[in-house]
Amino acid sequence: MSESTATAARGATRSTGRTAAGPRRSLLRPLLLAVVLLVALALPLYVEEFWLRTGFAVCGAVVGAIGLNLLVGTTGQLSLAHAFFLAVGAVTYVFVSGESGGLGLADLSGLAWPPVVGMIAGVLLAGLAGLLFSPIAARLRGIYLGVASLGLVFIGQHVLNSWTQVTGGFNGRSAPEFSLFGFTFGNTDPDLYVLEVPFREAERLWYLGLVLALGAYLFARNLLRSRPGRALQTLRDSEVAASVMGVNVQRYKARVFLVSSMYAGLAGVMYALSIGSIAPESFGLEVSILYLAMIVLGGLGSVGGAVLGALFVSALPLVFQRYADVVPLVGGSGEGGLAPGEAARFLFGLAIILVILFQPAGLAGLADRFRRRGRDPGGGRPTSASAAATSSSTTAVPSDPPAQGSTS
Amino acid sequence: MSAPAAAADVRSDVPPVLVEGVTVRFGAITALSEVSFTVEPGTIHAIIGPNGAGKSTMFNVLSGVYRAAEGQVRFGEHRLDRMRPYQIAGIGVARSFQNIALSAGQTVAENLMLGRHHLTRAGFVAAGLRLPRATREGRVHGERVAEIAEFLELGDKLHTPVGVLSYGDQKRVEVARALCTEPRLLLLDEPVAGMNAEETDRMAEAVVEIRSALGISVLLVEHDMGMVMSLADRVTVLDFGRRIADGTPAEVQRDPEVIRAYLGSGDEIDPAEAAEAAASGASSSSETPGMPS
Repeated sequence: MSESTATAARGATRSTGRTAAGPRRSLLRPLLLAVVLLVALALPLYVEEFWLRTGFAVCGAVVGAIGLNLLVGTTGQLSLAHAFFLAVGAVTYVFVSGESGGLGLADLSGLAWPPVVGMIAGVLLAGLAGLLFSPIAARLRGIYLGVASLGLVFIGQHVLNSWTQVTGGFNGRSAPEFSLFGFTFGNTDPDLYVLEVPFREAERLWYLGLVLALGAYLFARNLLRSRPGRALQTLRDSEVAASVMGVNVQRYKARVFLVSSMYAGLAGVMYALSIGSIAPESFGLEVSILYLAMIVLGGLGSVGGAVLGALFVSALPLVFQRYADVVPLVGGSGEGGLAPGEAARFLFGLAIILVILFQPAGLAGLADRFRRRGRDPGGGRPTSASAAATSSSTTAVPSDPPAQGSTS
Repeated sequence: MSAPAAAADVRSDVPPVLVEGVTVRFGAITALSEVSFTVEPGTIHAIIGPNGAGKSTMFNVLSGVYRAAEGQVRFGEHRLDRMRPYQIAGIGVARSFQNIALSAGQTVAENLMLGRHHLTRAGFVAAGLRLPRATREGRVHGERVAEIAEFLELGDKLHTPVGVLSYGDQKRVEVARALCTEPRLLLLDEPVAGMNAEETDRMAEAVVEIRSALGISVLLVEHDMGMVMSLADRVTVLDFGRRIADGTPAEVQRDPEVIRAYLGSGDEIDPAEAAEAAASGASSSSETPGMPS
C-alpha cells in the first residue's frame, strides 16, 4: 500500500539518483535561463528608454522581493518593515555618496565618497538595522511580529521627514549618479556607442540592474538548497523540530533578518538610482505592502516566484501609465477613467484573491505545474493500477506548504 | 543492516542517562512528579503509561524543549536539564516526533539532511556563494544520508516531497532524520502509532537493528504494548505523572499497580488473572514472537 502510494505520487517515478545531495535536474531550466539572459543582454539594442528604465526599477524590486521572501516565505517571519530597510539603504547611499551643500533652504551634508562605497555602506547599514531588530523578531511570531515591525516604518517616516540634513526632509534629496572605477552610469563620461546605438544612462543602469538582480537570485537560490536554507525552512514548518535537530533558532532568525534587510538595503539603493532621488513617501507602509503582494503573488518561499511577483507588481503601474490611452478604463492624468496606479492596484487585489483561492503556491507554482505537465506525457497520472491510491495519499500537496509560511 | 557501521557491542562513548527526581509543572498542574529512572548504555528502554501519564512531557524534558522545575537529567558529563535543544542535539541526542514534524514541501533527502545540521558547518556566505567546501560537505553528507534512507527502506523515495508519502513512510522519515544526526541516544516518540501490523513489525525490526548495529541507547515511548514487551530491555511505567513501576517487561506486566493503571481498579480482579489478561491483550495487538509469558 505504502509503496504504491508513493510511486503513484507525481514526480516520484523520475527520482533515480542515489545520493541525497540533489535530484537529477532537467535541461529545460538552464536552457530557458540562457535564452532569457541573452534576450536581456541584447535588449538595449532594440527597445526604447522607457522599457530599460522600467527594467531597472523591476530589477531593484526583484532584489527586494527575494530578500523579503527569504524572511517571510522561507522562514515564516512576517515583516512589514521592508520599506524601512529600503529607506536605510537609500538614505545611506545618498548621504555617503552625495555632496554637501544643496539647494535653497536645505542645508544638506554628504560625504561625497565613491558611489560604490555608498552602495556597500547602504547594504551593510540596512543589514545592521535588521540585526538590531532581530532580538525583537526572535521573541515574536506571526501577526505579532508583523505589528512590531510596522513600528519601524513609522519611525522611518519620522526620521526621513525630520532629519533634513541627511535625508533632505519632506522634499527629499537627489541621488548621486552611480559609477564604478571611473565608469559613470550616466548619459556621458565616457560617451559610449554599441552597434551605433548610444548607450546612455538607461542602458548602462539596465546592465547594472541585471547583474545585481542575477547575483541576488543566485545567492538566494544557492542558500535555499543548502544547509542554512534547510534550517530556515524547517524553522517555518516547526520551530521545535528545528531546534531539536540542532538548529540554533535565535541565531538563525537573526541571520535571516540580517540577510533579508541587506537585500532590502540594496533594493533601496537601486530604487534611489532608478528614480534619481529619494523622498519620504517612497518608503511608506504601502511599499511594504506592495512587497508582500509581490511575494504572495509570486509564491511564498520560492526565489523564482519572488522574481515573477516583483516583475508583475512593479512593472504594471508603469506600463499602465505609459499606455493609458490604449488600456481600457484607464485614463491619463487629468482625464477620465482610473488613474494608472489605481488600476494597477485593482488588478493586484484581484490577482491576490485569485492566487490565494486557486494557486496558493503563486506564479511559481503555476510555472511548476506547466513544467510537470510538459515533462511526463501521462500528465502526471499514475500508470499502474493504483489510481485509487492517489486519492488516499496524504493530505499535503507539495505545492501547498509554502503558503502556510506567513501565518504559522 | 548494511548502512550504519557495524559495531556489535555497546559503543564506548554512550553513557547512561540518569533521570533523577524530575518534576515538571504547568501552572498548577504537575505533569511529572519526581520521576527517576536510568537508561543503561546500549539498551532499549521503554516508557509506557496511559494517555496523559506524562510520557511526552518526559521526552520534552530530555530533548530540552521543556524545563524541569526540579530534579536533573544527566548524560555523561552533560546536564540535559540545563541545555537548550540545539545543544542537546549537538552532543548526540536525537529525537523523532509522535506528530510528524517534517517539512512537507521538502523532499525526503532535504528533510534527512537537516539531521546533519550539527555535523556540518556551511554558513550563509559559504552556501550562498557555493564555496567548494560547502558543496563538498553537502555531497559527503548526502551519501551518508542516502545510506540511512536505504536502511529504512526510503532509498527510492529520496527525492519525493514528504507530503505525498504514506503515513507509514512519513513515520520512517521521522526515525531516519533522527538517525541522520548520528546519535548516541535515540528518543523515539511513538514510532509505530497509527501504523498497520506489517509496518509495525518492520519498524520494530529496524529499532532492534539500530541498537545492535550502532550500539547506542534507544528510549522509546510507545502505546503498542506488544511491541514494547518484545523489544524493550527495561520498562518504566508512568501514571498521572508518577513512576509506578520500573523493571523488565516481565516484572512490569505482573506489577499490580500497572495492572490497575491499565485496567482500572483491581478490587474485584484477581491480580494473576489480570496479569494474564493484560499480557494477552497486549500481544493480540500485534504479533510478538519473543513474548515472555
